[in-house]
Amino acid sequence: MAITNLNQFLHDYFTNHHCQILTNQDGVLQIQLTEEMDRAIMNRPFYWHYIKKIGRDGEPMTLTLITNPEKREAEKGEWIHFGSPRLQQLIRHLKENERYTKLFQQVTTTKNTALYPWLVTNLKVSYRGKHKKDEIISIGLQLVTGNMKLEMMNHLKTLPLQATISDYCYTISPMIKIQSGFKRIESVILNYIENQTHEWAQDSLKTLNEELKTLRHFYQDEEHSEQMNKEMEAIKERYSPIISIETINGGIFYLLN
Amino acid sequence: MDSIQIKKDLQFINELESRLEKDGTFSSWELFSMAYEAEITTSSPTFTGLKALEYLPHVTFLEHQIKAAETAIELMNGRAILADEVGLGKTIEAGLILKEYMVRGLVNNALILVPASLVSQWERELNEKFYIPAVAHRKNYSWDQNVIISSLDTAKRSPNRENILEMEYDFILIDEAHKLKNHKTKNYEFVQSLKKKYCLLLTATPVQNQLIEVFNLISILKPGHLGNYESFLDRYGKDRKNIKQDAYLKQLIQKVMIRNTRKATALNQTKRNIETVWIEFSNEEMEVYKELEATTQNFSTFSKITYLRELCSSREACFLSLKKSIEEYGDNPIVQNIMEKIGRLPHHAKAKRVVDIMKEVGDEKVIIFTEYRASQLYLQWYLQQHGFKSVPFRGGFKRSKKDWMKQLFKDHVQVLIATEAGGEGINLQFCNHLINYDLPWNPMRVEQRIGRIHRYGQEKDVQIYNFAIKETMEEHIMTLLYEKINLFEQVIGNLDDILADLNINSMESEIEKIYAESNSIGEVKIKLDNLTSIIEHSLGEQEAERYGNH
Repeated sequence: MAITNLNQFLHDYFTNHHCQILTNQDGVLQIQLTEEMDRAIMNRPFYWHYIKKIGRDGEPMTLTLITNPEKREAEKGEWIHFGSPRLQQLIRHLKENERYTKLFQQVTTTKNTALYPWLVTNLKVSYRGKHKKDEIISIGLQLVTGNMKLEMMNHLKTLPLQATISDYCYTISPMIKIQSGFKRIESVILNYIENQTHEWAQDSLKTLNEELKTLRHFYQDEEHSEQMNKEMEAIKERYSPIISIETINGGIFYLLN
Repeated sequence: MDSIQIKKDLQFINELESRLEKDGTFSSWELFSMAYEAEITTSSPTFTGLKALEYLPHVTFLEHQIKAAETAIELMNGRAILADEVGLGKTIEAGLILKEYMVRGLVNNALILVPASLVSQWERELNEKFYIPAVAHRKNYSWDQNVIISSLDTAKRSPNRENILEMEYDFILIDEAHKLKNHKTKNYEFVQSLKKKYCLLLTATPVQNQLIEVFNLISILKPGHLGNYESFLDRYGKDRKNIKQDAYLKQLIQKVMIRNTRKATALNQTKRNIETVWIEFSNEEMEVYKELEATTQNFSTFSKITYLRELCSSREACFLSLKKSIEEYGDNPIVQNIMEKIGRLPHHAKAKRVVDIMKEVGDEKVIIFTEYRASQLYLQWYLQQHGFKSVPFRGGFKRSKKDWMKQLFKDHVQVLIATEAGGEGINLQFCNHLINYDLPWNPMRVEQRIGRIHRYGQEKDVQIYNFAIKETMEEHIMTLLYEKINLFEQVIGNLDDILADLNINSMESEIEKIYAESNSIGEVKIKLDNLTSIIEHSLGEQEAERYGNH
């Protein structure tokens, strides 16, 4: 589910932020920003401050984003690739702003229909020792039965979802409170972590101990103990194995089952 | 498992709960799933490999650069000496390493210490090439910017020093790190007391003289890696020959040092064409040269050597020096006489040749190196007379002026005339003609000059013109030193190692000594020949057992 088509990604990003797409051809995308988006990404607070002060509306800018490398010389605009500052900015913006959701499965019915609450969390587990890697896990927990589902985002992708509840539908109250639901998910993750062998951590600890030993050998005299302690801290900081569990985003989803 | 610390997310579920209670704002499905996609895209699913390469599609990295970055991160765990030969792209490797750590979220703040003259160049490279938002330190800036670049001299001065030592940096980089070879200096003590996680030391000449200098450099990265000071001295002494003899020591050094040589990399693709340009003095010029040479009056031998070298460069250089000597030591009829004759000399034979070459190269850029400022000024004026615009470049220029001159050279004028001090740290790979207007007596400096243009990013073959005037000292230096050891063709990365082995601290003073202590030209030639024979021999020996990773 990683981003593969940057043009599509940008198009979706801006249309979902209610910006008008002026043109989109051959990997050259022209967007009319809204005031809100201009304020969010164009970094010109003084302009907006000034324009509002003199009682005018202000003109949001247009952006031209080029994803087709062959067009980057020919067209005037920003070349967007995975490392470009603009894309990094939009990604940061997304990560900061799209953390919480509440959604309903869209149902066309004339009968009374129950929707069940799911707690969905997308987690990033990072393993950091000498080196670092991330693992992304998407988990859903049905808050009535306690049924748990992995790859939850892939499942949700197949369903029509919307922000409001469909006609004739009603929601079932959760049996499991979301706080304890979250604990259940967490313990599953902890269990999963516990069951791994973690060679990377052993490897890191081995290096950690070796380097501490080397360091003690270097500072054999008393007078440099302060410097030695500083170096020791740096070695521990660099090699101590640590696993962090972060929630990328999540929320409550009301689904048919 | 017990030894692994686990950090949980304590904040998310509280915030979600409170939003549900207060019916706060929620993301649409589209944006919610886009944020998830974005996270997958930016995460690093494996411990190894360079994720940063996906972020830098506009940079073409060479194989040895990628390999160096991987080695520094994966095998050396982020503490390494990058010791590639001049022009192989140490900056690129360092930028790639820093970028990788930033992409993986392992580095948030970094301190980059470089020579003052290179601060803005680093700032530009990191920003433009790597999209690393690095800023150069200015007065009254705080030191807790994300990525900050400064000179070591600024950083170690109060109050900067105190502020910096307060900080905990994730990443520290020191360019031209061979300046840290002595552990008793302020620089060394300062760098050692920095709090750091990852650390890169960049140097093109890692082992200039003594083994203990290597020890000191490595002790910044990994104190104890080579033992402590006393035990190290006991075991290896000060002689750096031991590196070669002791396989174990060599291995230890290779664990923290990456050294790519031109020979082992793909950079050989652009060739250097070397042309010795023999020039004959006009009769008048030769007469004055001979007269100066024969004078036994008054000068110390060393200053006479200087005057002769200057005369081979320009009338102006020699004239000014002689004038200075009169001011210092009082009037002298013999010197006056020579000065008068210099004053009547026609334009310098070398300057004329420069103009000839300028006409041959068409509108391509040319860089000219000279040892003397007076020659620099004279050449600028002389070229101007012939319709060629030039800009000067000196080590003493302020940072901004250097940048400005480089920009002028790139965009507007055809020639850049640099004195020696301008050699280090400017990159001029858009230019592929270089005139060594006069040759330094230290071959390493020639390599540094050529390294300005024959480096990573050069797309054409490089044309080097070495000027030498027949029947003068320049002829001896050219034939007995440069041509004999073939110094221009092969890159002399090993030369500094060899000179150190032979206990020659400075090639320049060695040659001066030869001139000063010889009674005849014949004697000079024999001695120079002996010197180069030894070097030649050692070069041959070194071919096989190369020091470094390749």
